[in-house]
Amino acid sequence: MAMAKTSFANRRRGTLLLIGLLVASAAGFSALKAATDRIARKKIPGSSIIYIPSGKFLKHATFGYRALAADAIYLWAIQYYSTPAIDDRFDHLDHIFAIINELDLRFQDPYEIGAMIAVQGALELRAERPEQAAKAMRDAFTILDRGAANNPDQWVYPFNAGHIALINLRDYALAEKYFEQCMKIPGAPEFVERLRANAIFKKGDLQTSWETWLDIYNRAPDERTKKIASNHLYRVKATIDRGALEKALAEYRQRSGRLPSDLAALVRTGLLREVPKDLDGKDYVYDPATGSVKTGISPWRR
Amino acid sequence: MKIRAIAGITFKEAKRDRVLYLLFFFAALGIVASRVLALLTVGDRIKIIKDVGLASISLFGVLMAILIGTGLVYKEIDKKTIFTLLAKPLHRAEFILGKFLGLVMTLFVMTLTMSIIFLAIVFAHTLRIEGALLVAVAYIFLELVLITAVAILFSSFSTPILSSLFALGFYLIGHLSWGLELILKKMAPGAGRTFVRALYTVLPDLENFNFKTEVVHGLAIPPAIYLSSFVYGLCYTVFILALAILIFRRRDFI
Repeated sequence: MAMAKTSFANRRRGTLLLIGLLVASAAGFSALKAATDRIARKKIPGSSIIYIPSGKFLKHATFGYRALAADAIYLWAIQYYSTPAIDDRFDHLDHIFAIINELDLRFQDPYEIGAMIAVQGALELRAERPEQAAKAMRDAFTILDRGAANNPDQWVYPFNAGHIALINLRDYALAEKYFEQCMKIPGAPEFVERLRANAIFKKGDLQTSWETWLDIYNRAPDERTKKIASNHLYRVKATIDRGALEKALAEYRQRSGRLPSDLAALVRTGLLREVPKDLDGKDYVYDPATGSVKTGISPWRR
Repeated sequence: MKIRAIAGITFKEAKRDRVLYLLFFFAALGIVASRVLALLTVGDRIKIIKDVGLASISLFGVLMAILIGTGLVYKEIDKKTIFTLLAKPLHRAEFILGKFLGLVMTLFVMTLTMSIIFLAIVFAHTLRIEGALLVAVAYIFLELVLITAVAILFSSFSTPILSSLFALGFYLIGHLSWGLELILKKMAPGAGRTFVRALYTVLPDLENFNFKTEVVHGLAIPPAIYLSSFVYGLCYTVFILALAILIFRRRDFI
């Protein structure tokens, strides 16, 4: 009886000791975890992923979980590119997004977000690392081109590429090319052709711009579109006329050594057949002191 | 003394396990194949060799710890040899600790052998022994010690298949728990955040033993982290072993 009691007491003491050990070790590793987290470790985020040859090869190693692998890498990429502390994070942007794109060709977001990140990178790097900025901008188009190639039924990729070319790169010929590509895809919004016409105007091809806007005006399905096209036609005509007037004014100045007091003097001296009027039949505003010619009203306030 | 005897027997038993040699064969194959993989890359070949070599040591080491560790206690119960053992003046805690140390010894020999092969391959390319790689290997071994304790914990109350799955789950959670930190940063203060914070503190963080990236890229490792990670591993291992002993003490084999 006494032996059983001693054995029970020993067992109880052992259990209590073990529970004490459990609590102490749990407290120890919890405190150490917090302490370890506070120590800043140098990391190369993405250092492992850039050595993956290509999504084409990787997809065979995902055992049928290609889409899941694409999701995981995409989530990782979002965190990676949201960390401004990584200075060189844009260096492997196309490679990283190419892996996601190859793993899941129809996963739409990575094409758009990847291109958006690339443009953001180009803007960030523009001042200090112009070469890297140019590469990031090229990456944006590469990613969107890949999106268009893998998803020929989606107009959004050439549309985004055109938008980037128009707004960020200011390469109007490139913008025109992408908007034209976008227009050919069924389901593309009707305003894309207006963006294309605007890109042609900005490119400086005034004749084609006039013809394009006139075509849009003639085919306009509603009054709003007609009005928009009319305003653009007003601007194109004003630009053409101003060019002719400024050329004649320069010629006049060269001959007489001064600017004319009014535009009619250009007709009197034979430099112009007639003084052009704006699309609304109104006179252009001429300043004889500076020689500037402008419309009486903004095209957008007619 | 009794722990040493059990550990010695466990070591001898593990040495006879064919799974051990099969895994060792694949690990060695992985390390040697890193040379072939390096041929496929453009640029830094030695980086590929180091990455694949260290990954092979880590991955196959974990598989050894799990596949052998999860069967250690269960086999004794299944073959009824546990009755003979526990009939002797042997505490159950001594039995668990002996089993644990026996497998740790086995893994030490295996890790050492794999490291020698790995260092030889690296030496063949760089013509120098890179001591820094041993730091990464040492902490891989520390991780294996913890995984061994986990395998023995599950083995003390479950079947080998389930124990393997649980231990593998522990390993995966341990390497993915950093995700909770990301979630914490984006969570608003409240009960949910406190719960995730508690989960983050309790769940294992095996990334504390992962120095592979730093070593391969030659990055400076803060000295404080060596001690911190080592003691963290030690505390977690003690915790798991205490839990295993507590559960094993309460088991009734009849």
